[in-house]
This record gives sequence, structure tokens and C-alpha cells, in this order.
Amino acid sequence: MEKILSDKKAIFLFVFPTLLVLTIFVAVPIIISGYYSLLDWDGLGKGTFIGIKNYTDLVKDERFINSLINSILYAALSLFIQLPFSLLLAILVSNVKRGEKFYSAAYFVPVIVSSVVIGYLWQKIYNGDYGLLNSALRSLGFEGRDWLGQENTALIAAFIPNLWQYVGYHMLIMHAGIKSISQDVIEAARIDGASPSMIATRITIPLLKPILEVCVTLSLIGALKIFDLIYVLTGGGPFYVTEVPTIFMYKHIFDAMHYGYGSAVSIFIILECLAFTFLLRIIFRRREEDR
Amino acid sequence: MKKKLLSIMLGSAMIASLLSGCATAVAPQAGNDAAAETGEAAEAEDNAGEAAAETAESSDEPVTLTIWHQSVVDTDPVKIIIEDSVEEYHELHPNVTIVQEGIEGEQYKTKIKTAFAAGEAPDISYMFSGGSFVKPYIDAGYLLPIDDLVQQETLDQVLPGMLSGCTFDGKLYSLPTITFLANLYCNTEMFDAAGAKIPTNWDELLDAVEKLKAAGYTPILMGEKDRWPGMYWYDIISARTAGNAAIEAAFGDTSKFNAPEFAAAAEKLQELVQAGAFNDNMMSMSYTEMLEGFAAGQGAMIYQANWIHPAIMDEAAASSGKVKCVAFPVIDGMAGSVTEFSGGTSDGYYINANCEHPKEAVEYLEYLSKKIGTVGYQMGAGLPCWKADGVDTSTLTSLDVESAALMETGTSYIGWWDNVLSAEDSETYKDLVAQVMAMKITPEEFAEAMSKLSPSEFY
Repeated sequence: MEKILSDKKAIFLFVFPTLLVLTIFVAVPIIISGYYSLLDWDGLGKGTFIGIKNYTDLVKDERFINSLINSILYAALSLFIQLPFSLLLAILVSNVKRGEKFYSAAYFVPVIVSSVVIGYLWQKIYNGDYGLLNSALRSLGFEGRDWLGQENTALIAAFIPNLWQYVGYHMLIMHAGIKSISQDVIEAARIDGASPSMIATRITIPLLKPILEVCVTLSLIGALKIFDLIYVLTGGGPFYVTEVPTIFMYKHIFDAMHYGYGSAVSIFIILECLAFTFLLRIIFRRREEDR
Repeated sequence: MKKKLLSIMLGSAMIASLLSGCATAVAPQAGNDAAAETGEAAEAEDNAGEAAAETAESSDEPVTLTIWHQSVVDTDPVKIIIEDSVEEYHELHPNVTIVQEGIEGEQYKTKIKTAFAAGEAPDISYMFSGGSFVKPYIDAGYLLPIDDLVQQETLDQVLPGMLSGCTFDGKLYSLPTITFLANLYCNTEMFDAAGAKIPTNWDELLDAVEKLKAAGYTPILMGEKDRWPGMYWYDIISARTAGNAAIEAAFGDTSKFNAPEFAAAAEKLQELVQAGAFNDNMMSMSYTEMLEGFAAGQGAMIYQANWIHPAIMDEAAASSGKVKCVAFPVIDGMAGSVTEFSGGTSDGYYINANCEHPKEAVEYLEYLSKKIGTVGYQMGAGLPCWKADGVDTSTLTSLDVESAALMETGTSYIGWWDNVLSAEDSETYKDLVAQVMAMKITPEEFAEAMSKLSPSEFY
């Protein structure tokens, strides 16, 4: 092993293919998008170079600002509702006496199902006429409403399926993390008289920190990039209240033929994700140093 | 090894040139093309100078044409016609192989744009109703003018005026197929049950809405999630308040949109909203749900174009045989008349400027366009843009006959506004109509916002 690592040629040989693929499929498209974002271009004809005008327009665009706020709101919901809920489920599932595998598989099912299918499923749940939700509300004597069609409920109604879908994903990662904690520690705590809730808060969660950090990163970056489910559920409407930056970008590129402007949004999303990833790493590292 | 490969290639080139003319498909497509090319090169060397001989030869050379379209719904007659044309055309022209691919609506828009930008577009591609959808492709030089390639004999069979939608900057780019006309579709069963009368003017429409509502029906179905169904309503209401001539003038000079008659159209639309004419969940209902809902008997009226006939006349549909098609009600005392229509444009297929076999592609285009125009008409896909004398019309449904009769009364047509306005302005316009329907803006604000659009490139 050492011999291989000291051989520069071997290192090159192993690293080069990945580097090449990454360059061609990640770095080059980003650079090209960066160039497009400086053009006033419809995506078909000739573009004119306009410098950073797309970006200055972008920060003044109310529709874009709103979509950005939506995605940050969704990121907050993921971090403060979805992840704690996943953690709770993971702890519960790892503590059930029977059917542990069944529960972890059951919660994972929505992750496997295609987002488009989930979107149609929830559309039926939310449907104003015959939807499950309204039927349930009506049978309880409440008034039904058009959840995805009304501005005050559309955003939260579009977010819930997203949150719901990935609960199982984070639960699975956390569950695996919990399982890798040594039984000895837990048993020792139990002998010392710790209750299950004490074991969870004093032992499982602190030992799970590295895993939680992974989940936080994945969840945050995922939240900034959501597209598919919201596109199926509302398409960004009504009146753009459920729009997120990715949908804003898609609509500009393919519906309004603003290829340059859309590219500027894509560059913005990339920079935003990078910035958040670095921010998280700094926060986590500082925590580690404090310890 | 290399020598062997070379001899195989040369051998197959010889066989291919021997068989060319009578063969259907000798070798797999790729090999066939390569062989033909080598054969051709050898020939060119032999008969250097004899250009005439070569062109005669080239009409028999194997040609593969790719076509992309967006007819994917099983009830869509155009889907059946295109799929059948592959085999049929191959029998007529043994050297031509057609490869067709159907892609669903919204995805098609994305895919075709990417393909043209990447230089991987098919030889022939479908373009939504011409207009502002196809304009950027023509401006960018991606599509081929066909004036010099199309036969006069074919052009003579096109109905008068129908070529104008295929002509840009004086050059012909496509041939028309079938044309569409938007009209009001009424479920007679519900109208009878509610004691309502099929409306011919605005007051009758409001009266029908009231009666249908009282009888527990949703008077009008609206799929405003997709925004364009609502746009159709404004398109036609303004044709009644302002008249098509005023609309055309406003397309040329958008400041004319800021006029009482255009505000009045928005006001009329809001009148319907306030009367509770539309389904409560219109903002979350898509076009497809609206159409399926109407076919399933969830609403009494729908304002749409005649491409909905196959779906609502389908034997399995609850609406089958109960629907009547009428012209949109007139508004008394306003400029528009009942003979002014929305629609009249035709979908078309366009040839890639980089197509290697433009002659064959145009021949296929002539064949396909006429086929969709006549057989598609016969199957209820739309109204013909071609002289359809001698076409058996016994297969037409009552709706097809009714809408064809309405078309004959037409004195003026305006295409869907999102095809007349630029892509960017279309988005703004559709948003504005949605805001009107949600009572978020006043008719005056609407008219003023419309006056800020750019003039259309077509008027």
C-alpha cells in the first residue's frame, strides 16, 4: 500500500479517471453556465454579452427573492422538524422489541417511490372535491378547502409531502448509526439505572453526532435544490407563492426563453450550496474543537 | 484483422450497390449507411462529371429520416397516423426509413430546445401552432425554408389562407395539417336537468350558470393551474367585447390594450368568478384534470378547442353523446360578433436546416401533413387545412360536424394569444389573467399592465 502511494504515477492513474469525469460532467458545465449567465440569450439564437446585468436584475427580482425565502423556509423546516422527527423515529425503531426490520423498511418506502408518483398521490389527498384530507375534515364537521390552490395554504401543503418523503431516508442513516453504537455502553447505563429516555439523550444522541452532521448537511443541501415534488404538486403556483429557485430557473429557461437569466440563477444556486456546505463545516469543526 | 475488416466493408459496399433499388433493408441501418457512402464515393470516381447519373442514383440511396412529435395520448388520432406512416411510407418509398418518437407536451418543449442547441435535433420536428413558439428557431436559422423543394401540386391542395401561418418573413417553412377552433362545449344532460338554456348571449350564460348551480352542478370547469385554460377565456371574451379587428390592432400597438373594451373583458371574466361559475379548486386543477373531469361529467361547460373531441366522445366517457358545441355567447351592445373566433391556426412539422436529405424530408412532410389534414379530420382530430373533397365523413362525431359548421360561419380568426405574443409576454399575459380570475387585480389594472407588453412580431 505504502509503495503504491509513494508512486506518483500510480496515484495519477487512480485519480485521473475520476478527475476527468468530474471535470467533464461537473466543472465544465458550471463554467459554461457561468459564461451563459453573462449573456442576454434566448437559448437558440445569438446571445449578446451584458456583463453582470443578469445578476443585478436577479437580486432586484421580487419573484426570485420570494422563491429564495421559500427555499430557506423549507431548509429550516427540514432542519428543525424533519430531522428531529427522523431522529425520534430512528430511536423508537431501534428500541422496538419486534419487527425492527419491518418498521425501518416501511418508513423507507416513500424514498424509493418516484417523486412524481408521490406528487400525484398527494394531489389526490389534497383535492378540493374528493380528497382524503377534505373528506376527513368534512366528516369531522370542518370546512374543506382547496389546499394547493389557495395562496395561504399552498406553500405549506407543497412542503409537507417533501418533508414526509425524506423522513425515512434520514431515519435509515440514523438508525444505522444507532446500531453501530456499542451495546456495552448502553447496557452499562441500563445497569446504572438509566431510563430509556435518559439513554437516548445522554448516550445515543451524543454518540450519534457525526451521523447527525451528515444528515444536517444532506438535508440542507437537498432543501436548497428541491424541484420535482413541488413542480408536480403546484408548478410553482398559484401566483408563484410556492416557487423555489430551481422552478424559477426552469421556467425562465424553458417557458420565457431567458437562457442567460436562468443560467445566472443556476450559478446562484451552486454558490449558495457551496457557501452553506462550508458554513456547516466551519460550525461543526468549531464544535469539535470546543469539546 | 484490419485487412479483413476492410475487405468485409468493401464487400458489403459492393453488395449494397448491387441491391440498391430493390432492397428494403439489407443490413442494419448504420452499416447500410456506411456501405452506401463507400459505394457512392466509388461511383463518383468512376463517373466523374456525370452529375445527372449521380442524382438519379441518389434518389434510391437508403435514407433515414427522424421525426419528433408530441402526440402520445392513445386516443389522439395524430399519434396513430404518425405511427402508421412509418410502415406505409416505407412501402411507398422503399429507400426511406422513418424513425418516429413521441414525447409528452411539457417535456417535448424542453427536449426539442435542448436538442437544437446541442445540434442533435431530428430531421423533422413538431412545433406548437407555429407562431411565437417556432419563431426563435427560425430566427436562429435552425429550420429550413421549403419554397424551392415543395411541389406546386401539393400547395394547390391546401385550403386558401392556410399557408400564411406556415410563412415567416415571406418564406414557407411548413405545411398546415389540421386546424383548431375553440368553442363552448355544453353537457346537454345537465342543462336539461337544471332547466337551463344553451347560452347565446352573456345574460343567458349568467342565467345558465345560476340554474346549473342551483341544480348542484359545477357550471364551468377551469384548469387554471396550467394558466392557459383561463387565457382561452380572456382571448374569446375580449373578441366579444372589442372584436378581433381591435385585438389585431392592439397586438401591433399594445398601448391600445389600455382601453375600456379590454378592461370590460376582464370585468366580464370577474363577473363569472363572482357568480361562482367555476369550480372552487380551479387554481389547483390542471388542464388534464379539467378535461377528464368534463368527460366524467363533473361540470356542465368547458371552453376549449376541438382537440378535446376524442376524449369527450370516447365511449367510456360519461359525457359521450351528451355534449353540444356552440359558438361563445355574444355580449349585447359590444363590438364583437358571433362569427369571430379564437383559433384557426395549425400545428405543423418543420425541417431541420442541417437535414442531410432535405428533398426526401420535404416529400415526407407533404405526405404527412396532407395525411393528418385529411385522415386526422376524418378521425376527429381537428378541422382540415386541405381540400377534403372525397374524404368519407361518415366517421365524424356530431361534435366534429358542429364545430366544422361553426368554422364555416367564421369571418375572422385569431390564434391563441400565447402564440401571438412573445414567449416572455405570454407568461406575463397568462399571469395577469390568473390574477384577474383570483380577483387580485382590477380590470383597469389588467388593461394597463397589458399595454406595457411588447408589440407582437406577427401584427
